[in-house]
Amino acid sequence: MANNVLYIEDNPDNMMLVQRALEARGYRLLKAANGLDGVATAETEPVDLILLDINLPDIDGYEVARRLRSSRKRELNSVPIIAITANALKGDAEKALDAGCDVYMSKPINIRELWARVEAFVPMP
Amino acid sequence: MTNSKIKAGHGIKSDSPGLFPDSGVLSYLSTLQCSGCGTEYDYHEIHTFCPNCQSPLLSIYDLKKVRQQVDRDEISSRRKGMWRWHELLPVQDRENIVFLGEGDTALLRLSNFAEELGLTNLFVKDESTNPTGSFKARGLAAAVSKAKELGLKKVIIPTAGNAGGAMAAYAARAGIQAIIYMPKDTPRANIEESRIAGAEVVLVDGLISDAAGMAGERARTEGWFDLSTFKEPYRAEGKKIMGYELAETFNWELPEVILYPTGGGTGLVGMWKAFAELDELGWLANGNRPRMIAVQASGCAPVVKAFESGSTFCDFWLGAQTIASGLRVPKSFADQIILHDIRESNGLAIAVSDSEILEAQKKLGSNEGIFAAPEGAATVAALIKLIEQNQVGKDERIVCFNTGSGLKYLD
Repeated sequence: MANNVLYIEDNPDNMMLVQRALEARGYRLLKAANGLDGVATAETEPVDLILLDINLPDIDGYEVARRLRSSRKRELNSVPIIAITANALKGDAEKALDAGCDVYMSKPINIRELWARVEAFVPMP
Repeated sequence: MTNSKIKAGHGIKSDSPGLFPDSGVLSYLSTLQCSGCGTEYDYHEIHTFCPNCQSPLLSIYDLKKVRQQVDRDEISSRRKGMWRWHELLPVQDRENIVFLGEGDTALLRLSNFAEELGLTNLFVKDESTNPTGSFKARGLAAAVSKAKELGLKKVIIPTAGNAGGAMAAYAARAGIQAIIYMPKDTPRANIEESRIAGAEVVLVDGLISDAAGMAGERARTEGWFDLSTFKEPYRAEGKKIMGYELAETFNWELPEVILYPTGGGTGLVGMWKAFAELDELGWLANGNRPRMIAVQASGCAPVVKAFESGSTFCDFWLGAQTIASGLRVPKSFADQIILHDIRESNGLAIAVSDSEILEAQKKLGSNEGIFAAPEGAATVAALIKLIEQNQVGKDERIVCFNTGSGLKYLD
C-alpha cells in the first residue's frame, strides 16, 4: 500500500504534530531529523511522499531536494516533495520550487491543509 | 473643567474615568474556540492559535445572556467609539481598555459616483478617520488592550504597513514595548509613525510573509508576544465592530453587498462573525446577510485563485507585487475561514489591477472628495467590474470599505 510519508524536520514539536495528524489518517511516517539522514532514508526506504523542512541543521532543504531529484534511485526523481518552511528569508517559496519541490507550505502547519495537500498526491489509505 | 463635568460624547479621546460604565458586566466573553477542530481554550490564559491543528482561535460570547441583559438600542445612546460595544468585546476590566478614539467611522453615501455608475444606494464606510489613519486601529486596540489585561509586557508584529503604526500607538499608550517587522518598501508614513510611537522598527528585504517568519522567530527566541493576523484571537474582535456599526447605521437591516479589501482578512472574517452574532442576538430586522466580496490586487490574489478553483485553502502567491501594500499578503493564516465565509455569504473574490486601483482612487477623489488608500480604492475598482459583469443590482445597498487614508501613501 502506498502510504509512506517521509518527514525531514529537526523540530520535535512539528514532527510530533505531523506524526499525530498523518497517522490518524492511516499514513506511515518515516522520520529524519536532518538533511543527510533524510536523503539516506529516502534512498533506502520505500517513500511515496516527502515533507521537507527548509531550515535544517546540516544541508538545507533546497540541497536535500536537489540531491533527491538527482538520486540514482529513480523513484526519487519524481516523488512528490512538499516544502515546509517558516519562510524567514526572501524568496523561500521560489527557491524551494526551483530546487525541485512540488508544493510550498508555510509554518505554522495547518493540519487540514496538510491533509488536503498530502491526499492530493497520496490518497488516504 | 473636571472630569465629572465633562459630558459623554463630546469628543474627549481618552481612556479616562467616566468613559465606560463603572458597574455591570464589561464583557460576555465565555471561551476561545478553535476555528478548525473546535477545541475550547480558557480566555484567562495567554493563547496564540490552536496547538492541536494550528488554526486560528475565535472569541465566543455568552450571547444568550447578552440577549437577556443588554438593550441594543441603549448601546446607540452611549458615548461614541468602538468600546460602546464592550459587552461583545473581550476585555474584562475597564482599566485595561486602551482607547485612542477608534470606531464609529462615517458611512458616506456616494451620490455623485453612484449616478455615474447607474446605482442608487452606494456607500463607503470610511475607516480613514480612525486613530493612525486606518482600520487597523480597531483590531490593535482590542488586541493590545487584551495583551495588557493578560499582563504581557512586550509585543511584536509583522506588517505590510498600517498594522505596525497602529500597534506602535496602542502599545505606547499601554506602556508595552513594541517591535515591528515590515518590508523595507513599506510606505514611509508607516515607518515614521511606528518610530515616533517608540517602537523598534526592523525593515525586511522581502514581503510581509518574510517579515512574519522573522518576527515569529524573534518572538520564540526572546519571548515577545506575536500579534500577527489571526495568530492571537482578539484583533478580529476589534474589526468585527465594523459589522455592528453597519447594522446599526442601516437600522438593523444589513446591506446586500459589502466589498472589502482582503489581505489578511481580519475585517472580512470579523464582520461575518458579527453578522452571525447579531442574528443569534435577535438584533437584526430580518435574516438577510450581505454577499461578501473579497477584493484583491491582481499582483497578489491568492484568495481569488483559491475561490475560483474551488479550493478550501490558498496556495502561497509567488512574486507578490502591488501598490496596495495592505493587499500584498501571499497567504493569510486565516485563508480557510476567509474562503468559507465568502462562500457562505454567496459572495465572491475578485482581483483588480494597479492601474484600475489608481483610476478608482482618482474617481473617488474627484467625485466625492475622498482620498482613499489604494486598498480602499480597490473596492471601487472591483465594483466597476462587478457592474460590468451584472453581479450587483442597480438598487442594492452596496458598501465599499475604504480602509485607510491616501495620505499615508505619498511616497
